[in-house]
Amino acid sequence: MFGYYIALALRSLRTTPILSALMVAAIAVGVGAAMTTLTLNYMMSRNALAHKDDVLYAMQLDNWAPDRGWQSPNEMPWEINYKDAISLLHSDIPTYQVAMHRWGGPLSREDSELRPYSAEARVTSRDFFALFDVPFIYGGSWSSDADSNPVYQIVLSQQTNEKLFNGENSVGRTVNFNGAPFTVVGVTEYWQPSPKVHDLNNGNFKKSAEVFLPFGLHRSFEIYSWGNTNGWKGEVIDSYETHLGSEYVWIQYWVQLDSAQQLEDYRDYLTGFIRQQKAQGRFPRPLKFGLSRPSQWLQLNEVVEDDDYMLNWLSLAFLLVCLVNAVALLLAKFLRKASEAGVRRALGANRRAIFTQHLVESGCIGLAGGLVGIFLTTATLALMRQLQMGALDSVAAMDWLMMSAAIGLAILSSLLAGLYPAWRISRTNPSIYLKTQ
Amino acid sequence: MLKMHKVRKSFRTDTIETHALRDFNLEVKEGEFIAVTGPSGSGKTTFLNIAGLLEAHSGGQYLLDGDDVSGLNDRQRSRLRNEKIGFIFQGFNLIPDLNLFDNIDVPLRYRGFKASERRRRIDKVLQQVGLAARAKYLPSQLSGGQQQRIAIARALAGEPRFLLADEPTGNLDSLMARQVMELLELVNDWGTTIVMVTHDPDLARRAERNIQIVDGQVADLEYHANPAALSA
Amino acid sequence: MLELRPILSALWRHKVSALLIALQLGLTLAVISNAAVIVQERIQQVTRPTGVAVADIVTAHIAPVAKDYDLLQAFRLDLAMIRALPEVVAATVSRAPLTGSGSSSGVQAEPNREVGATPAAIFMVDEHFIDALGMQLVAGRTFAAEEIGEASETTSWRSNTVIITQQLADKFFANTQALGKAIYFSGEDNPMEVVGIVARNLGPWPNSTRAGNAIFLPILMDTQKHDFIVRAAPGQRDGLVKLLEEKLAERDSERVITVKTLEEQKNRYYAGDNTLITMLSGVVGLLTFIVALGIIGLTVFWVAQRQKQIGVRRALGANRSTICRYFLLENLMIATTGISFGVAAAQIFNHFLVSAFNQPPLPPATVASCALALVLISLVAALIPSLRAANISPATVTRSL
Repeated sequence: MFGYYIALALRSLRTTPILSALMVAAIAVGVGAAMTTLTLNYMMSRNALAHKDDVLYAMQLDNWAPDRGWQSPNEMPWEINYKDAISLLHSDIPTYQVAMHRWGGPLSREDSELRPYSAEARVTSRDFFALFDVPFIYGGSWSSDADSNPVYQIVLSQQTNEKLFNGENSVGRTVNFNGAPFTVVGVTEYWQPSPKVHDLNNGNFKKSAEVFLPFGLHRSFEIYSWGNTNGWKGEVIDSYETHLGSEYVWIQYWVQLDSAQQLEDYRDYLTGFIRQQKAQGRFPRPLKFGLSRPSQWLQLNEVVEDDDYMLNWLSLAFLLVCLVNAVALLLAKFLRKASEAGVRRALGANRRAIFTQHLVESGCIGLAGGLVGIFLTTATLALMRQLQMGALDSVAAMDWLMMSAAIGLAILSSLLAGLYPAWRISRTNPSIYLKTQ
Repeated sequence: MLKMHKVRKSFRTDTIETHALRDFNLEVKEGEFIAVTGPSGSGKTTFLNIAGLLEAHSGGQYLLDGDDVSGLNDRQRSRLRNEKIGFIFQGFNLIPDLNLFDNIDVPLRYRGFKASERRRRIDKVLQQVGLAARAKYLPSQLSGGQQQRIAIARALAGEPRFLLADEPTGNLDSLMARQVMELLELVNDWGTTIVMVTHDPDLARRAERNIQIVDGQVADLEYHANPAALSA
Repeated sequence: MLELRPILSALWRHKVSALLIALQLGLTLAVISNAAVIVQERIQQVTRPTGVAVADIVTAHIAPVAKDYDLLQAFRLDLAMIRALPEVVAATVSRAPLTGSGSSSGVQAEPNREVGATPAAIFMVDEHFIDALGMQLVAGRTFAAEEIGEASETTSWRSNTVIITQQLADKFFANTQALGKAIYFSGEDNPMEVVGIVARNLGPWPNSTRAGNAIFLPILMDTQKHDFIVRAAPGQRDGLVKLLEEKLAERDSERVITVKTLEEQKNRYYAGDNTLITMLSGVVGLLTFIVALGIIGLTVFWVAQRQKQIGVRRALGANRSTICRYFLLENLMIATTGISFGVAAAQIFNHFLVSAFNQPPLPPATVASCALALVLISLVAALIPSLRAANISPATVTRSL
């Protein structure tokens, strides 16, 4: 019977092409608007570290001013300062721990014609790859002494290795970064979390680093972070050493704590550390630190902004209007063909059969609307990518899940829209349509 | 076959209650061909709608094939309508978007027959009404008489026991009307009970029995000997 | 001749369809008035004056490849070369405003105070900066060449003079003359005398609450964070982008050179706002269009359903304008019902957006104008089928069937 209803629906849609097109358009536009914002919100809410969500923690310390906290939801700065990072790296409680920040500079290959280009770098302690689960194609991370001593070793991303060495195994080869020779020790696989959960201070959806450098290089290059550096008191910085010793925060810090015991121990450790610093006159605010799981970290950093949520609500309201529109048009269309329903009733169709037949017709409109809606969504997302000038490239795209969601939403909405008109038509008294007026 | 005892039907608007049928008694026997006549507004159509299970009666008893239909729900009524009753209307009421084959297919679909069975029946009734060659035509491509023959074919496809006709020749010229009438008589000869509402006394005279409805009641029962029926 | 009663009773028979149209209009009003007020606010935000000659400015960044590169010397030589170009009006080396990156610090009007600092963007500049940025000096003077100090990120430097924006001057020295007064970095005692006031500069973060607070210090800074800020002669900007790339590479090819227009960087900064503006305008336009189509569709249906009735009326002497007026009046009544519902819905929706997402409150004028626009659109939409209805011939009656 279902096949019969589908055939009838298609025939019915063909006989009123303009009205059908109007309804398909209404559903398509509504679904297009809703799916555009839903896709964005869905893509922005992804958590690339979901598989380690119960063991990874982004760490915050409250070393801010005595009279005011940092302007974030939990009133702690997103980053910590250099000297605290160096102290904390000595802890042997976490399975892995990472102190890192963004940097960059001209990159080239000694014996190559390729012109030097400006590469995004991540200066990090060696656990980065293990903690964030970044697999290697060739080689591996640098030795642990590279985190405290200047060791000129570098890890390349797959794309960088492709560019400089045509994808060959480049371990042991030399590249030039910021005017100094570095030995390649590893090449990572393609790794591009979006949003960039490990680094939410420098554009949530930007490209991940192209090269990775050890944490022991700061003094050799007098490295200043290419991210945010914030301070709360006037500190006289007259040498690089005072910069490193200052209260300026510019280092992102993550730990991996595999067991509840480890977590407990680490909390105690941090508490002890802050107490000790307080005794030396630092950390003027009440004792406070933060350990946020990746999922919490994404929320705390408001990766999905108010504007995104607002657009989402507006587009759902939009879809609602389109639905009301579809209800009105469906009602008109079904009532126009009420006499046919009357004949079918006389010939033995029960109310349910009439109801189902018309609901199937609504569903067909929904299916068509969904397909056009996917097209509209794709077009709108392309427009958004252009309007956002690259800032949303990794999120403004539909995956298969979102495409099926679009179809599902369209069919669901059209069935909802068809519910009343189909019920109404199945209830009308057939006899009034059978008598020739 | 059909028995109505003290059947009542009233319509109510905000202010007035009108009785379309009151104390309506009628019995139709298996194989009969009955003509129902009466002035406009007398309740002929209401009688037909109730007999055809298109409307429910407000009171009294209606037995179809010996079963009381009063308490049936929509599903059961629709099923009875589909299996036991065929309709023929003055305005033919073919579905304009469907070709002749698909029009006849409609009641068979609701019956739940397999495709092969539906095809067999459709081919058969198309033969019977003499329009087998035009199965793919749309209703609008046919003359009025041909349309009514298709409507009869559609009514017959389900092999109903009982055919209800509402002014079946009302929209036809006399030649076509005669052809349609002859077809109905043929159908009656095959054993189908027919109740036909008409205001044409010539047509009514061709039926075995005439009933007149006046003011929602059967006025008088006048037996009318049909020579053809007698000889059969 | 108002025929309200027959319209009302006809509407009652189509109450569901009529209500659906009214509901649609109401919801549309709720959505578009809220979208409109957000668009309005964002457009104001994005188009407000920046205080600098955005359209004429090009920035150039150099990243040296050699490790012990003398950046200050390079700045001097490059600037001399750039300033000599005929297409160039003025050039300086600093951080460009409106880009979303920069530095800021707390500033006080009194020494040694830490609490209650006013955050202000800091620009380290040379004596050409007012010209290079195309700003307007409203009081005092610009820096003199010999005033410009030299510093690096690792040297302790403090300036004795400062130029500030009018906004900051008003904030610190309301109703008094700011020139000659001193300001201090939060918690410090080094006075910086205000020697000049510029009309306006939105600073690095135009969307932040501190936008417009900016101070300019006479320092040539040895930092890779600084760009050349070059103001082109009118109409020369795009040519200058290419030219700068060539000339900077020519002076020293062992550098990575990035040249951009300030306009592009400003657009990038405002990309989120511009996206919102475009999307919401799209929503407003499409929604209005859909509703109009819906009204046309339904009125067409009603007209078709009442074809015969209209024919009878025409046969009984109704003229075209009567028929047309009938349908328009009917539509107007539906629209009025919908709009009154929509005004309430708009307020509720706005209340939600304000409290949950920090969107601007909805002024009555915006609701009113959106409502008026919707009523007009619905009338126009109804007019099309109504005119067709008016053209139904009275003969319809006689050739029925």
